[in-house]
Amino acid sequence: MEGTISNGTQILTTDGIPLKVSLRKTERKNKIRAFLLVFPLLLFIVVTFVVPIADMLFRSVDDSHINTVFPNTFEEYAKWDREDLPPEAVYKSLFLELATGEGIQVGKALTRMNYSKSGWKSLIKKTRRQVKKIYKSGEEPSSYKQTMIEINKGWADPTFWIAMAQMLNETTLIYYWNAIDRTYDIDQKVIMQNEERRMYVKTWWRTFKVSIYVTFFCLVLGFPVAHLLANLPLRYSNLLMIFVLLPFWTSLLVRTTAWIVMLQQKGVINGVLVWLGILGDDQRIQMVYNMTGTIIAMTQILLPFMILPLYSVMKVIPKSHMRAAQNLGAKPATAFFKVYLPQTVPGMSAGGLLVFVLAIGYFITPELVGGKDGQLIGHWIAYHLKTTLNWGLCSALGSILLAVMLVLYWLYNKIVGIDNIKLG
Amino acid sequence: MIMLKFIKAFLFASFCVIFSFSSNAVTVASWGGAYTESQIKAYADTYSDPSAIKFENYNGGLGEVRTQVESGNVAWDLVDVLPDQAITGCDEGLFEDISGEYDNFIAADNGDGLIADMEANGVTNLSDCCGPQIFWTYVVFFDPTAFPEDAQPSRIADFFDVANYPGKRGVHTWANGFIQMAMVADGVAPDAVYTVLKNQSGAVDRAFAKMDTIKDSIVHWSAGAKPLELVKSGEVSMSIAYNGRVGAAVLSEGENFEYIWEGQLLEQEYLCLMTGAPNRDQAMDFLIHATSPASQAEQAKYITYGPMRASGIDIIKAGEPWFHTGIDVMPHMPNTPERLKISVMGDPEWWSDNGAEIDERYAAWMGN
Repeated sequence: MEGTISNGTQILTTDGIPLKVSLRKTERKNKIRAFLLVFPLLLFIVVTFVVPIADMLFRSVDDSHINTVFPNTFEEYAKWDREDLPPEAVYKSLFLELATGEGIQVGKALTRMNYSKSGWKSLIKKTRRQVKKIYKSGEEPSSYKQTMIEINKGWADPTFWIAMAQMLNETTLIYYWNAIDRTYDIDQKVIMQNEERRMYVKTWWRTFKVSIYVTFFCLVLGFPVAHLLANLPLRYSNLLMIFVLLPFWTSLLVRTTAWIVMLQQKGVINGVLVWLGILGDDQRIQMVYNMTGTIIAMTQILLPFMILPLYSVMKVIPKSHMRAAQNLGAKPATAFFKVYLPQTVPGMSAGGLLVFVLAIGYFITPELVGGKDGQLIGHWIAYHLKTTLNWGLCSALGSILLAVMLVLYWLYNKIVGIDNIKLG
Repeated sequence: MIMLKFIKAFLFASFCVIFSFSSNAVTVASWGGAYTESQIKAYADTYSDPSAIKFENYNGGLGEVRTQVESGNVAWDLVDVLPDQAITGCDEGLFEDISGEYDNFIAADNGDGLIADMEANGVTNLSDCCGPQIFWTYVVFFDPTAFPEDAQPSRIADFFDVANYPGKRGVHTWANGFIQMAMVADGVAPDAVYTVLKNQSGAVDRAFAKMDTIKDSIVHWSAGAKPLELVKSGEVSMSIAYNGRVGAAVLSEGENFEYIWEGQLLEQEYLCLMTGAPNRDQAMDFLIHATSPASQAEQAKYITYGPMRASGIDIIKAGEPWFHTGIDVMPHMPNTPERLKISVMGDPEWWSDNGAEIDERYAAWMGN
């Protein structure tokens, strides 16, 4: 590049290096320094945020393990015309793979197979002992199919073979379908789950419903408080601020338990209502261990997340705006809706987004006060993570939750604009 | 310069501390609370070297266990798990197969080895990777003052009879325990519950139909301390609870509660050896000590879960009053021979096969 410009027009630094080169050098140095400064943070984000999320997304579609344990069986299975029971070849390859497979790998595969149909686990475990015995004896059964059915009549049950279709592919969407009460039939067509087991769609709707209610109530309750906080003289507003922050700093468990004491049928609120004669002793209202309890407790717990962003926005709205509007002839209500309210939108939307996102993945509070119909999707994520070890379904549920949040964020950006967000 | 030396020395010392922590102590992951307290007193304090045992709390489930084994970064030696998780963990290779060493376990006074001693207690499905701990049960209990003296509930069917035994019922938010009780209340013999579940199609439907009869009277709890509070405050008149919690409330806090032993579900609890445990040999030695009849009986001094080895019960019976405060503990032991006859023995293998499906159905049922 320098070659095209004559030496005469080029500006040189005192040590004879062209200024451009020298500048670029210093800039590069600065860039590297800046990068090194943020590098630990970058590494931290990659390790604690990007990698786990990538791992979750991967696990939600990965079904390769089972295919490495029973490769021949699955290959033979794919050739089967799906009529009646599978042919001898399928039984034979499964027999041999059970006899020769490594214990732990087969064990892991069993856990996976059991998700597709309850009973796989013990069927194979019981069969496996016998199969190994026969295999060791060196005798080749005349019919593997017959032998296996003799060992356990479960092998004549076509429902097991139907369920196997769910595991044919190494990458699968089955976990996502399971997460919305659907499953595969024998031809891998999506069908509804057994009626009595359908609860995920319901739980999803419930999760959204509770989150919307909680956000709404937080807004309704938080707006006046934030307004007061922003407009009271300092010494009063400081005291009020402490009332907002004190519960915020109190342990979640303590607050949740306190709500149980307040809300239960022999609790404070019911007690007062009965004492006042508003309710009869046998009419006590069930306000906890159901969805009502979940909504009430979560609203109180998440309220500060609404108040604080609202407050920070309201604080900087000049009081003169309202006065000016009224001076120009607007009624107080008109002035409020036309002048004040629009200016609080960034705070409302920030608070709303924050509360909604926190509510949608909430776990402890619904777990404790949810009872019969107040448990949210977080409960099932924890359940599959710890109890059934169905990490595929667990990841699918988590990924859907993540997708919902991204969609919300996108919508928010479209409607309000992310530049307008004000978190404090 | 001195500063630098000091820093070096400090780093070296802290390294040594970390190193010694990570290498010497056998780490046992357990549930915490009064239960772990009782394990420390009964197992660790009576061990030849109590300082070599360190208990750590975890939240149950195999999630952390699997993470540790899969990442190759195993921090625990022994884990206290539920029976179906003992089986799943063993199948998946998360726990090490120690069945070859069962002969080394301490025999009962009558000469029964570990396996025979457990069979005498009705346990025939010992997991290959674990040593037995205790029986804990889902049992119904009530406050006798909540019912007239001549109409005290006494059978599990009474739990499902709101007309004659009024009041709400406390039930947990998952299915295990409740479903078996419903079957016993519906007329299935306690020792036949799992046979019926395995062999009769529609057995689960039958249980749900029975559960339907009290559906509107149920208050659902999810934390183990809640049922005691529910019964004590009069929120419910009877509740299902973990028997150890009820025992503790009566023995240590002087509450007045009665049990309905009929239809209780006996569940097992195991200590399992992690695959790749950092202190494997000493952990094994400790496991043998912890599963000895004497240690198992010792635990009943502090918590009213039942020893899984039958010989443990004999020791307790002979040593009454056995509880550490000098009170008889046998009235609270879930697995006396008489109570075993009217109890449902948990079948973790069946539950690890079908549990997820039933839990989902139960959740759908609750929310309807």
